[in-house]
Parts: sequence; structure tokens; C-alpha cells
Amino acid sequence: MSSRPAAIAAAVAPPLALGVLLLGLWQAVVRVFDLQPYFLVAPTDIWAKFVDNWSNIWDAMVVSGTNAAFGLMFGAIAGVLMAFLLSRFAILDQLVTPMSIAVNAIPAFVLVSVFNNMFATTSVVPRRLMVTLVVFFVVLVNVAKGLRQVNPVHAELMRSYAASGWDVLRKVRVPNAVPYLFTALKVSAPLSVIYAYVSEYFGGAQTGLGSRISSNISNSKNAVGWAYVLGACLLGLAFYLISIALEAVATPGGAGQRNREGS
Amino acid sequence: MSADAASTDSPPAGPDKPVSAVEVVGVSKVFNRGKASHVDALVDIDLTIVPGEFVSLIGPSGCGKSTLLRLIANLTEPTGGTITVAGKPARTARLEQDYGMAFQQAGLFEWRTVAKNIELPLELKGWDRAKRRARAREMLELVKLPDFADHLPWQLSGGMQQRIAIARALAAHPPLLLMDEPFGALDEMTREHMQAELLRICAETGTTVIFVTHSIPEAVYLSNRVVVMSPRPGRITQIVDVPLGADRTDDTREDGAFYGKITEVREALRGAEFDLTAKGIEDR
Repeated sequence: MSSRPAAIAAAVAPPLALGVLLLGLWQAVVRVFDLQPYFLVAPTDIWAKFVDNWSNIWDAMVVSGTNAAFGLMFGAIAGVLMAFLLSRFAILDQLVTPMSIAVNAIPAFVLVSVFNNMFATTSVVPRRLMVTLVVFFVVLVNVAKGLRQVNPVHAELMRSYAASGWDVLRKVRVPNAVPYLFTALKVSAPLSVIYAYVSEYFGGAQTGLGSRISSNISNSKNAVGWAYVLGACLLGLAFYLISIALEAVATPGGAGQRNREGS
Repeated sequence: MSADAASTDSPPAGPDKPVSAVEVVGVSKVFNRGKASHVDALVDIDLTIVPGEFVSLIGPSGCGKSTLLRLIANLTEPTGGTITVAGKPARTARLEQDYGMAFQQAGLFEWRTVAKNIELPLELKGWDRAKRRARAREMLELVKLPDFADHLPWQLSGGMQQRIAIARALAAHPPLLLMDEPFGALDEMTREHMQAELLRICAETGTTVIFVTHSIPEAVYLSNRVVVMSPRPGRITQIVDVPLGADRTDDTREDGAFYGKITEVREALRGAEFDLTAKGIEDR
């Protein structure tokens, strides 16, 4: 496998080059047109502020990241449990599915304000609740689909084996739903970080990345604000990488080659 | 040859086996009874299959051949008549796993290794791990894929997957194998190879087979008897005996008697199909 590092380099180099090019262009535009910091900040200035403020940025990343992680975890657990209930009781499915669509149609920010009024202003609960809710619906919809959409040939085979409903759940429905769960987590992970930031814009403790970005920019400390944005990018990337790593561990070898349509 | 002529080619029933492997008496199946979409899928079907016999069901789409197979498997219930499998009602036979089944899609469970796929019916029968392992190994030898136990299904070709599906269907050593166009999705070369393999496996295990197909040469090559069916309503129009001997090889496909039987089945199908709307019969 001596060509593996070469292959990785070949895959990474073009987008990396594009990124460097765009940053260079950004830098050049700011310098050539002598743009003022309140209009647009040069990447080198952002980087300098990022280094200066690293320990504060790190603290804010931990705060927002913890909120996102809690929401992701609770949302995933609740979503999986509810998906099992829905696949077991058809009546519940008919009740919950329209409701989940209705809840999804409510703009998330409205809910954060409501939660903020319900709990103390310094509480982390409203934000975690917000993330939990978003992740819950993504996981619920996907896992429920995985539990329900059994290949008809598999269903007939299990009937020919005189398998009980419990056997079908254990040996067909659950393994069938596993790839759906990881798809949901892959979508949810970056989403949980975004909702953790967004929920900080509606009052409450001013310790997370979202609060820091808005307060710095409103105080005309644009370069520092951008430095926090960079921190937010890194956190989102970290969550995405974790979800990809989880998927690789859960489905060794076959993740990409699987034929989920079942042929 | 008439439908009730004694089959000269089928092995005699053993003393400890029931006289018939499958007995279908006066069976009918109606879909959507009483509605505008009412369909007589099958009317008045009588068919007796003796142990060790290989019987093909052939006919145009809509003749009810797959429905008949599903009735024997008790995957669906007949509207009228009785079905006996291994001397028991079809439902009892299913609950006791007295048959194995294979479909056009191999239908392997993609999250299980090849060996674990073969072990699944045994797991559901409550066999312990060591016994399952040993049987899976034995079945992989039977279908000549002993080195693929730990592979995942996607790593296998279509023909290999279908062989694993047959190994799985036979894992519990059922006396009866039900196959619904198992080779329909394979290319012609693989298909002929699989046909020869199936005959070898059935000869080794003494399994009775009911085989649904669209292909006349396939039916003739494999079968002791070919059951010709016709649609609207689905019924048996003729049963053609195929006394080509028990030992069929690739040379059999070149044999004059083989072509004679192909012609006989084709004419039976034409006779069944005087409205000339037959679709889906392959003449290859």
C-alpha cells in the first residue's frame, strides 16, 4: 500500500490549493483596495487575533461543543427509542408522524426563546434542548424508515423460516436500520453544532462561540469576531469527522459498496 | 403425452417417506374477491409430486405458477382446496421448516457473512453454534465455495450469491426445495453451469424440487416432469414427462430427445395460449 499516502495527497491537494488561492485573493483585495477592518478583515489579521485569543476561543469552543454533544447524544437516543415505538405500534406512527412534520415547520429560534423563558437565563438546558429536538427528528425519521423498509425477499424468507416478530426485529429490522442511523448521525452532527451557535443568539449565558461572534462584531472588533468564526468552523469540522469515523467503525469494509435497495 | 401418464423417470418413494412429497387437491386462489379487480389466479389445481422428483412449473406471466409455489410454501393461503407437504398441512410444514426456498433475487442479508447467511435458518431452529458452523461448512463444500465463508455478499458475483442462497435453502436438510426463477437474473453461461450444479446437488441430497421458470430448455433439462400452465384463469393444461434419465450432462443439451421434449413443451404452451397474448416465455 505504498501508493496510499500518494493517493491521499492527490485527493487533498486540489481543494487545498483552491483554498489557499481564495485566501490569497481575499488578502490581496483587502490590501490593494485598502479596505478598512470594519468593512472586511484580512486573513492575516484574523489569524493573528486567532493566535492571540486562542485560550478564550478554545473555552468558547468547549462551551458550544458540549451543548452540541449533549444535544446530539440525547436526540439520537430519543430518536432511536421513538423509532422503535413507531415501528411497533402503527397507531402511534399515525399520530406522531404528522406532528413531527408540524413541529419541524416551526422556526427553531422561536423555540429557543420559549425555552429561555422556561429556564433560568444562565441555564444551558434551553440550548441543549434545542439541539436535542433537531437531532431527534432527523434520527427518528431515518431510523423509522430503516426499521420499516425491509427487502420483500428478506420478509418472505423469514416467513418461510417461521420466524417470530421478535426474530424479524432482531435479525432483520435492526441490522437493516443501522446504516440509516449513521446516515442520520452524519447529517445531525454538523447540524447540532449550527443549532448550538444559533441558539446562543437569543440571550442567556454569553460564553459560547455564537455569543462571542455577535458581541465582538457588535463592538466593532471584527477581526476577533472572525477569529471566533474560524473556531466555529474547526468545531463543525471536528463533529463531522467524528461522525464519519463512527460510520467507518460500525460498517467495516462494506459501507460504500452496500446495496441497500437489495438486489 | 397425457397429464396422468406415470412418470418413468422419477425415483420411487422410500419406505419411510410419505408417498407424496407435495399433494395439491382442488386448489383455487382468488385475488380481490368481489371487487372490480377480481382475479382467478388459480382454479381447480391438482398436482401430486413424489419424493425425489424434480418438477418445473412453466407458463406465461399471469398463469399463477409463482402463486402456486407460494401456496405450497404457505406464504399465502388458498381460497379453496387442500395442500399437503411432507404429509402435513402446508402451514404445519412451514412452521416445522420442512422446505427451503430460493428466489430470483439471492436475497442474502448484506450485513451477514456468507457463513452467517447459511446459518440463519439454523439459528431460527435453535441449533447451537458449533453445529451451525459445521453445517455451514458442509453446505459451502456442497456448493463448491468453501473459501468464501467469511466474505460479505457484495464481494460475490451474482452466480456465487445464488449458490449461497441455495446452500442456505438446503442448510437444514429439508426434504423439499422450492425455487422461484432462481437463475432468471443470471447470464446464459452461468445459468447452464448453475443448472448442472443444481442437478448434482439434488442427486447428492435426494431433495424434491419444485422449480418455477420462464425458460423451456431449462425446464426440460432439469425436470422429471414439466407442468405447463396457462392464464385467465390460471390452470394446469398439460404435464409433460421428461424421461431423459437421471444422469444429465452437457451432452444432454445436444441430444435429439432433449430437442424433442423442448418441442413438446413449446407446443403444449401454444395449445394453452390460443389467444396468442403469451408474454415472457423464453425460447432459449
